[in-house]
Amino acid sequence: MLTSIKTNEFAGSESKKLAMMYFRVAIILFGAQLLMGLIAAIQFLVPGFLFELFDFSVARMVHINALVVWMLYAMIGSVYYMLPDETGIETVGIGIGKLAFWVFTAAITVVVLVYIFVQVGAGTEATIWFINEGREYIEAPRWADIGIVVVVLIFYWNVFATFMKGTQTGIMTVMVANLMALAGLYLTGMFFTDNISMDQFWWWWVIHLWVEATWEVFVGTLAAYALIKIIGAKREIVEMWLWIEVLMLFGSGVLGLGHHYFWIGTPEYWWEIGALFSALEPVPLVAMFVHVLYDWGKEQGETHAKDSTAHAINNGPAMAWIVTNAFGNFLGAGIWGFFHTLPQVNIYTHGTQFTAAHGHLAFFGAYATILIGMMYMGIQGAYGVERLKATFKSKMAIFMIVFGVLGMGVALTISGYEQVLVERAELGGGWNAFFTAQELPWYIQGMVWRAIMGVVTFVGFVYLVWDLLTIGKLSKAAEA
Amino acid sequence: MLFEPFTDVVPSFFGWLNQGPLTLTIFLHTVIILPMFWIYFQEKKKLQGK
Amino acid sequence: MAKENLSVWTSIPFWRRSAAWVTGFAVILLIWLTFDTMGQISMGTDEDLKNGVDKRVPAATVINYNIDYQMSKKRGHEVPVIGKKEPFFGKEWSGEEAAALLHLGKLTSQAKNCMNCHTLLGNGAYYAPDLTKAWIDPMWKDGGPMQGMTGKSTKEEAMAEFLMNPSQYPTHARMMPNLGITADEAKGLVAFLKHMSSIDTNGFPRNFSKTVEQFKAGGTNAH
Repeated sequence: MLTSIKTNEFAGSESKKLAMMYFRVAIILFGAQLLMGLIAAIQFLVPGFLFELFDFSVARMVHINALVVWMLYAMIGSVYYMLPDETGIETVGIGIGKLAFWVFTAAITVVVLVYIFVQVGAGTEATIWFINEGREYIEAPRWADIGIVVVVLIFYWNVFATFMKGTQTGIMTVMVANLMALAGLYLTGMFFTDNISMDQFWWWWVIHLWVEATWEVFVGTLAAYALIKIIGAKREIVEMWLWIEVLMLFGSGVLGLGHHYFWIGTPEYWWEIGALFSALEPVPLVAMFVHVLYDWGKEQGETHAKDSTAHAINNGPAMAWIVTNAFGNFLGAGIWGFFHTLPQVNIYTHGTQFTAAHGHLAFFGAYATILIGMMYMGIQGAYGVERLKATFKSKMAIFMIVFGVLGMGVALTISGYEQVLVERAELGGGWNAFFTAQELPWYIQGMVWRAIMGVVTFVGFVYLVWDLLTIGKLSKAAEA
Repeated sequence: MLFEPFTDVVPSFFGWLNQGPLTLTIFLHTVIILPMFWIYFQEKKKLQGK
Repeated sequence: MAKENLSVWTSIPFWRRSAAWVTGFAVILLIWLTFDTMGQISMGTDEDLKNGVDKRVPAATVINYNIDYQMSKKRGHEVPVIGKKEPFFGKEWSGEEAAALLHLGKLTSQAKNCMNCHTLLGNGAYYAPDLTKAWIDPMWKDGGPMQGMTGKSTKEEAMAEFLMNPSQYPTHARMMPNLGITADEAKGLVAFLKHMSSIDTNGFPRNFSKTVEQFKAGGTNAH
């Protein structure tokens, strides 16, 4: 991965080189996310750890911001990677795209340094502009918001101009339309209001309509592209599925936004809208899982019929992560989301570790997995490897990361369950209820297991980075 | 009683459609799905016309 | 081509058109719903408070009133009940003063990153108590533990004192860090919390702090 710029196997595709630059920053931020998560997990168990030095709020803020930003980086990288393949031409205006990359990366570095060393500011507009905005997931200060908008506009122009000039496939049609929505939604999170209900109403427009609508469609597009590249799936079938996914994801996800409007001061009619629309959100995720496995089986069968020793898959690790994505999306986003999406349940689960369990499983299952898969595709392209086979390190990486995140999800679910029953159902919330539940042995055991599983995930991450750095060179040498 | 008394704070069109278990959401789902029948038959006609 | 071989279900144009229709119409509905909700959650006025008009989000001057959270038979869950006037930091706040104080408080809540430990209206991090109804939490009531610990005789003064020096008044091994909150900012934050407790959250949290005392005493409802 590090040497991919020099080896230059992309036959001059600057777009793919830029993709690799985005992937590299993404994986570094992924590491930062895990480290911050470990600090926060320890603070749950040892409250004095880094107290008034690097408090939970700081660790947690960097944890979730690194998450969002590494995913955006890997998503942008994936788009730059697939653009030349889909449109058949080199990306238009790639020079300014590269400039935007450096501006974006410099801005992110400054933002993170300010988060870590300045942490909080006075209660003034200046803090909102220069230190942090204090709104979960989109804490980035206003100056950085504006910077992000400019960078995204440049990125979008790259994509749009290339799309208009080159071949217009169904996959790219969905991509171009979806990216416009994704970028536009960010604007709804860029204002200040004294009204906390209004604040959270629009805040959810960004968060929900990203992760439960536009990001999901984005994953559908990536999976469609990857299936064509990795197992040679038929474009007509893949694109038909993609439209079905768009229909179901947006059909359920857009009004599914209502499940965030149960308790923030918004009218009661959101109970019904949020309940049934969001209850249908898992349906497209099942469809995506079936689709991936069906295509895999079909292509493998056809290849096998021609040559009984051949494999349909030309990139083992990427395919493994994409299949993990198909199942993880359904499990983490679908099942764990459905657990607490009905208002009758949510009135007790809202704002407990239950949500944290769902957050961990969903972000990982739905997004981290496929983005790691795209990184393996990038490696394959960078080194010009015909068939990338999983190494021991690839297997350790996927096994330990999946096991670790699943373990964290289950542990948090158990802690959350305790919290729901004792703090909420029995004690009705409030200060005392909160701390009473935090001291329950079964709650604490869950938090211990969460920390242990966090370490397992981190070891898996080390294997992942190690593998990404070495697998390309090894495979190329083996093929030669 | 056919219509439930309105319980939310402020009366509104959507609040009025919210007449008890699932009335509002089923109504919205129906108006979203129904036009797909029309799209279906139109596409069918196109395919058969080929 | 024979008629029976034509299936709309495998036709890309059918799914593309359906996707466009469903997405477009869902977005239109969402925008319509958003306008309807905007009207309902915009802040009320001081007149509404004086005339007893229920608003989901009352005016900032709600800090001049007593706020309770009671079961409503009609709604089927607890709702905020805005009662008689009461002094807030020893005085009645005019419309402009109250709005300015709430503005300072909301800004401070973001500047100090409250949401990355606490939950506000149930959203945020899960490291510290939910603040939706913090104003009416039994911890802060007259004669309650926090007034005793901070040596203050009103709820608002106790809260402000705690916010300025949180790690001096620990209630649990997990403490709130000192965030450099000034006296003015602390007043603003208390106003922000009081205002938030007056928001109609459709009954969240349910049975708020009802049974803590029974639970602490090791008792049950059975006698």
